[in-house]
Amino acid sequence: MNPESTQFCRPNEHDISRRAFLAHSLAVGSGTLIGTSGAVHALDEDGLNAALRHSGKSVILLWLAGGSSQLETWDPKPGRLTGGPFLTIPTSVPGVHISELMPKMAKRMHKMTVIRSLDTKDGGHGTAAETMLRGRKNEAAQLYPDLGSIIAKEFERRDSKVPGYVSFYSQTEGRRNTGATPAFLGARYAPMILNDGMKPANISRLESITEVDHRDRAELHKLLSARFARSRDTETVKSHASAYAKVHGLMSSESLFDITQEPKWVRDQYGPGQFAQQTLMARRMVESGVPFVRVGRAWWDSHGQNFETHAEMVPELDHVMATLMDDLEQRGMLDSTLVCAFGEFGRTPKINASLGRDHFASAWSAAMFGCGLQPGAVYGKTDEDGMTVAENPVGPGELFATILKAVGLEPEKEYYSGSRPIPLVNPGIHPIPDLLS
Amino acid sequence: MNLKITEQKRVSRPDIAFCLIREEGTRRVFFGSSDAKIHTLDLTDEKPEDGAFESDQGHQSYITGLAMARPGVLVSGSYDRQLAWWDCKKRSLIRKLPAHEKWIRKVVSSPNGKLIASVADDMVCRLWNSTTGELHAELSGHAPITPHDFPSMLYTCAFSPDGQVLATADKTGQIVIWDIASKKQITTLEAPIMYTWDPRARRHSIGGIRSLAFSPDGKSLAVGGMGKVGNIDHLGGQARIEVFNWEKQESIAAIETGSVKGLIQCLAFHPDGNWLLGCGGDGKGCAVLIDPAKWEIAVELQTQYHIHDFLLNESSDEIFAAGHQSIGTLGIEAV
Repeated sequence: MNPESTQFCRPNEHDISRRAFLAHSLAVGSGTLIGTSGAVHALDEDGLNAALRHSGKSVILLWLAGGSSQLETWDPKPGRLTGGPFLTIPTSVPGVHISELMPKMAKRMHKMTVIRSLDTKDGGHGTAAETMLRGRKNEAAQLYPDLGSIIAKEFERRDSKVPGYVSFYSQTEGRRNTGATPAFLGARYAPMILNDGMKPANISRLESITEVDHRDRAELHKLLSARFARSRDTETVKSHASAYAKVHGLMSSESLFDITQEPKWVRDQYGPGQFAQQTLMARRMVESGVPFVRVGRAWWDSHGQNFETHAEMVPELDHVMATLMDDLEQRGMLDSTLVCAFGEFGRTPKINASLGRDHFASAWSAAMFGCGLQPGAVYGKTDEDGMTVAENPVGPGELFATILKAVGLEPEKEYYSGSRPIPLVNPGIHPIPDLLS
Repeated sequence: MNLKITEQKRVSRPDIAFCLIREEGTRRVFFGSSDAKIHTLDLTDEKPEDGAFESDQGHQSYITGLAMARPGVLVSGSYDRQLAWWDCKKRSLIRKLPAHEKWIRKVVSSPNGKLIASVADDMVCRLWNSTTGELHAELSGHAPITPHDFPSMLYTCAFSPDGQVLATADKTGQIVIWDIASKKQITTLEAPIMYTWDPRARRHSIGGIRSLAFSPDGKSLAVGGMGKVGNIDHLGGQARIEVFNWEKQESIAAIETGSVKGLIQCLAFHPDGNWLLGCGGDGKGCAVLIDPAKWEIAVELQTQYHIHDFLLNESSDEIFAAGHQSIGTLGIEAV
């Protein structure tokens, strides 16, 4: 354990032993699965507040922006001209093979849930991203909240001082395509966007203000606000008070955003890359009560040199997903955390003259693991060349409904936009029972 | 230099041809394919008939390297990490062996035909006895990881005309010159512009050195790839050729194309050193002829298909090309 851990994670806070996680480190490298150990709480009374400990479900979305290739990951087509050059490897689920670029996930396939039959019909980056993050297209007169906003609304504690929805997207390409908006749910459920680092700007207490002054100011504000609110019981006043409390909470939880508070051996286990470190940060946040974290990993848009790009990026994804799975399991968080990995679409089976693959939304894959899912399930099938869905087509709505159901939400649940009832998914859309535990 | 290049014959195919060998004195070519097979065509025929090498024990992935071990015997290298020896006449497998830990990118034979060199993404160059298939030497000198913590790739290699020196080149733009007798490094060269790392917008890389050729006197080494790329979603950089006096570690020339873009996948000098030819491309193909007297582009042609490999005929006036869904020929003639 890192002896430098200070107010956020003290040395005795984590009831996971270094030896156990190191053993697990070897497991990530070798693929050998080691048993789990006890749960970990990153927060304690001295850190933020015991009340902040997360009691609900969380979702981590590894957003593979630009569109990763299903053929180089979850749905390879060996021996076909569309299949590309990568070989396939067997997985821990008998009869299921995936790309050789994912040996670590292959050994954990029995804990994965994979859909191989997404037919989402939209090959444009912006509109497809919008759809995949909402399970449906926005309408001209009705914008819908994205997954993160819904999860934040449903699982954020009312008194929480940590954000309900955090979004990392450090690359610039495709950032505007993300469409992460709460729509009618209101700004409270908008994402905290961390594009240029892993810490929000300006949350450090000014050096010119002492800790005592800072606390006293907060108390004074609380007193005056309560007096003001007594005769003005409106949503606006409540929202203001809530926002102020959240900002103050964020200031007191500054160390939440400090990756160096994680022991070095944990950081090393995830690896040095930006995606790896942000995924570790996502785990840290979920552990601390943040219901939804999206880690954007751009940019998979391999119109040229698809195989070189995937040879570079898929091993990173393989390692990061495997490490996250093991880490969540070791901490006892896999039953309360759902991890999804997909982007706005997949890539064409046809290989173009630049040895690239282009946008393709007709037959592609998504991968998930964690709470509420049927482990080891591989759902749907594409034809022998990967050109069409051969069995069990899944649209964006079905995927969205399945994610909601997996974390315990009823997709038919209705919100209200003004007086209009808005179900979480469009009428007639249902979760996929075969994917749910 | 008053020359022009023209596209002549083109045989369209469903697969991608990555590497090419020609039967000496004929227009029969053998090429490695994305269907994991070696195919052969006689380009003399008006409608060449495809003949595939069939074997249950053949390759399992793209064949990206072909070399002649001796007349009638081919050696192929594949992304399946295997090297295979083939009888050309019978189109049958002689032997196959696990040669590398990762994708084999290129296979070449030494000028005297005694050695086969293979390079792969395990970042090792291995020299093999061309007759027996026994490992002769292992040359390790390229970093396995890029400066940005991703796996590197060892794309290409070339023997000097006298066979005493071998050059190898990788994704990050490093070139290593090896002494074949001692199996030791002689020197290294750098062509870093051929590697584009995008740290901000897309956070991955593109490029790398894809081709090498020694001049006929062995003193100059030409290096092919692509210049810096703005949008690495595409092969959008200018095709780039650098030339070094490798013994002095001096850059002689750095040449980028005007209108054509993409990777220079293969390079060859005229046997008398009259010109240097590079071919490759992006979504389309390109052929670039360089005048060594001025190290300037004399001819720049956009071809119908991306060219992955080419060979010259004995009189150096015909190019046999393997590329995207195509096998074909191009002519070089005076104007």
